[in-house]
Amino acid sequence: MATNTIARRSFAETGPRTPVVDSVRVDQVTPGARRGTAVRLILAILIAFLMLIPVIWMAMTAFKSRPDATASPPKVIFTPSLDGFIGLFTNRTQLSAGALAAELKRPDLSFWDRQALARGMRIIGPSKFVQQIQNSLIIALISTLLAVTLGLLSAYAFSRYDIPGKGDWLFFILSTRMLPPVVVTIPIFLMYRAVGLYDTHIGMILLYTVFNLSFSVWLLKGFIDEIPIEYEEAALVDGYSRLQTFRKIVLPQCVTGIAATAVFCLIFAWNEYAFALMLTSERARTAPPAIPANLGVGGIEWHVIAAGSLLFLIPVVIVTFALRRYLLRGVTFGAIRQ
Amino acid sequence: MAEIELRQVAKKFGNLWAVKPMDLTIHDGEFVALLGPSGCGKTTTLRMISGLEAVTAGRVYINGEDVTWLSASQRNIAFVFQFFALYPQMTVRQNIAFPLESQGMKRALINQRVDEVVKILRIEHLLQRKPGALSGGDKQRVALARALVRKPACFLMDEPLGALDAEFREAMRAEIKRLHLAQHATTVYVTHDQVEAMAMGDRIVVMSAAEIQQIGTPAEVYHTPTNLFVANFIGSPGMNLVPGKYADGRVHLPGGSVCTVPPAWQPALAALPSDDVILGFRPEATQVSDTGALRGTVYASDLHGSYTMLHISLERTGRINGNGGDKIVHIRTRRDVAYPLGTEIRFDLDPEMMRFFDPKSEKALSKEARG
Amino acid sequence: MDQPLQSASRLPRGYRRQISDSTIQRLFIMPTLVLLILWNVFPLFYSLFLSFTRYSHSGKQPPVWIGTGNFDALLGDPSIWAAFAVTGRYALLSVSLQAVIGFGLALLLRAKFKASGLLTTLILIPMMLSPVIVGMFWRLIFNPLMGIFNYMLGYWDPTTAPVWLKDHALLSIVIVDVWMWSPFVMLLCLSGLKAIPDYIYEAAAIDRASSWRQFWRITLPQVAPLLLLAVLFRTIEALKAFDLVMGLTGGGPGNTTETVSVALYRMVFQGQARTGSASALAYVMLIVIVGVSNVYIWYLNRMKEA
Repeated sequence: MATNTIARRSFAETGPRTPVVDSVRVDQVTPGARRGTAVRLILAILIAFLMLIPVIWMAMTAFKSRPDATASPPKVIFTPSLDGFIGLFTNRTQLSAGALAAELKRPDLSFWDRQALARGMRIIGPSKFVQQIQNSLIIALISTLLAVTLGLLSAYAFSRYDIPGKGDWLFFILSTRMLPPVVVTIPIFLMYRAVGLYDTHIGMILLYTVFNLSFSVWLLKGFIDEIPIEYEEAALVDGYSRLQTFRKIVLPQCVTGIAATAVFCLIFAWNEYAFALMLTSERARTAPPAIPANLGVGGIEWHVIAAGSLLFLIPVVIVTFALRRYLLRGVTFGAIRQ
Repeated sequence: MAEIELRQVAKKFGNLWAVKPMDLTIHDGEFVALLGPSGCGKTTTLRMISGLEAVTAGRVYINGEDVTWLSASQRNIAFVFQFFALYPQMTVRQNIAFPLESQGMKRALINQRVDEVVKILRIEHLLQRKPGALSGGDKQRVALARALVRKPACFLMDEPLGALDAEFREAMRAEIKRLHLAQHATTVYVTHDQVEAMAMGDRIVVMSAAEIQQIGTPAEVYHTPTNLFVANFIGSPGMNLVPGKYADGRVHLPGGSVCTVPPAWQPALAALPSDDVILGFRPEATQVSDTGALRGTVYASDLHGSYTMLHISLERTGRINGNGGDKIVHIRTRRDVAYPLGTEIRFDLDPEMMRFFDPKSEKALSKEARG
Repeated sequence: MDQPLQSASRLPRGYRRQISDSTIQRLFIMPTLVLLILWNVFPLFYSLFLSFTRYSHSGKQPPVWIGTGNFDALLGDPSIWAAFAVTGRYALLSVSLQAVIGFGLALLLRAKFKASGLLTTLILIPMMLSPVIVGMFWRLIFNPLMGIFNYMLGYWDPTTAPVWLKDHALLSIVIVDVWMWSPFVMLLCLSGLKAIPDYIYEAAAIDRASSWRQFWRITLPQVAPLLLLAVLFRTIEALKAFDLVMGLTGGGPGNTTETVSVALYRMVFQGQARTGSASALAYVMLIVIVGVSNVYIWYLNRMKEA
């Protein structure tokens, strides 16, 4: 038996195989530590992927044709199609073979018309979804604008002035945020019905403004608290009025705070479901209550729902990515600063 | 306790040298100061001794054992950090007991050791407090206690007084030195403050730009610096370094001053490649005199109470030119004579204390051995 | 000579007429407070009133005072107790899992390797989505025939695979909630972890503390307050659960996932429109949640001061 004695060179004698040119401790370059770091990386990537699978799956489903979307077992490989989006945005009717032939001869067919005809259907108008998205946009944008503006003014006042009972007021403001929507819905529903605000844009805008207001005051006050008061004091000494100080000095310095707050208000209003469900029906209905409810002619059209969901989620994802540094702060009610 | 040896130890960050290959031996019971400006590599060197930084090359020995690739916990050292590194959620007592508990020592013995150490550092009254409630000086005492309680082979200290107020630093300096003497502990002490290093060190390792500039006792680095950097860095203010031209046994300085070179130095100066030379002298090695060989104008004067430090401009223009083109030297004079700004002044140098440097190599010249 | 206007020439040059501070205070705060009072305080009182009445908003009769009748009826109604039980079980299970998984994720991600910033952002996405929409597409995922959940777990035969939304409805909602909100717990814990400077761990290494000991004595005590904050917040939200439940199961099958919010909704907008009883139930729920919320706010304030 030929013996090959391989000298066992332990780490303690020779160290790592390549020279260490980073700032690391000795116990971080041992073979065990290196393995540990590699395992961590792999695990982290795996988990991130797993967490995203539902979102990815939904995005994929949005681009599937109807049979693909409802295939059993579920299809991972498929040919993309725009069926979901067509179904989402338009109302269509089926055409007989003859009518279909006649339609195809028309000169003014748009891209969407052609897509529908390819599936044997004719577009007769936009679906309710278009209006619902519009409602979502209008209500979210305006209520955010109001909430941030009023919130900014109040936050400034609470931060810079000694208002009697300030602590109590702030406590009160924050606890309104904690209310379960269903609790407040009943009386507000009755109120709105009585005053004629049920199923109106104004009604929803005001409601979202109020709910975002408590959050926006709290968050913006945190930002304003961080601006050193010396700037304003210097300006006041120089003869500026309080309002001018607010406009020229405080405002520019809390632009990032305003942006972060606006994002949160937008996301809340955009995603809101409970109030929208209970306080709107036709005219002012936003997308969240609509997507589960009004889609599907004959069975649940998952690809349409997926398309709707995807469109609804994309703005939020974009905004999350753009302002990720500020999210931590808002999400924890200012408990943590970046 | 322990002898520490570094053989060709070096550290690179990417392509940047943080510590160029160096050799250093620290003897048992010695107090060695690693001194230098920020970024010179002194802290990195200390961390390599401790294992908190893995070496790029070279080997580290503690008590003859090769510990280069042993982790910090395996090296039996104690480390005192600049920012104390006390465990925030534990009381002072728990902080000090922590290293002993980690070793699985019995509770009774732990208590005994903690009590001993706490008495030495006089922090008995702080035992139940948390680090957040302590002053800087107290925090450092607790950190020292935690280091002491383990009876390690050596103490490594990374600018421990850097985060303290100036008034505490002097007192703590003395305490640390006393501790060192009482424990016969080998200590390696990193600092950027040359006053500290001079006061505390048995030997000083002066470092700059990732290299050792000089290793020597405080007296050696003060009186016989081996290069311009050490000459300038040690002493407050540093040594006066005046460029001049050598000819015929005399050095001609800016502003027309002429300095006679003692015979013992002349061969070394004559051997220089060009006639450029740098004359070095410390502020206290001067004597103001009406017939002094060097002359200049008083540019500024600092009253220190027991003495006055004059800033002299050697350019004899009669005016003070503030463009930095003047060569300013510092001389120490008696406290009871006033020198108004702009006065012309003449002074002599003590020939024993003169030093000369080669401007190109920046190294000190050496006298020929006499006789 | 004319007596000039006081405001013009008697004042020093450069002085501008300024709105007084107290006016500004009132101006800046009034609208907010008015809105909040109108939309929160007033409805709360109205709701309180209704809870003592028998009233159906779809009928023609006005509210009729019946004292504590609604509350007595609620106390004796098993379906209400069931709703509380469902809500309690859901909150307990979901928040515990979120805490464990969130904390675990934070420990995993704290080492500074290269893509950790990007990974963290990606993990944030589920949290930002509309819960009802999330519930909707998880319906598809859980679907025994078409969904990938069973597929990925290895149950490829639809006849033997578990039907999540029928047999394990509450667990399904818990799974989705944990999926959405563990990242939130992770974020809070991460910020606590990052607040521990490296040199503390270096000191612990030199003190020869094992990894477990370092975790137990140093890491955990630092992170515990933030973890507690996350748990409190998520508990409040879990007790209020409505959107996700409606999106995923609608409260079904039957009553198995009927949380208190869903029960309320059904009481008011479906069936007999028992608005009076619903208001009573709403108030009970309100008291519970406000109680927990106040603990949260008090704890939050204490942490901010520390």
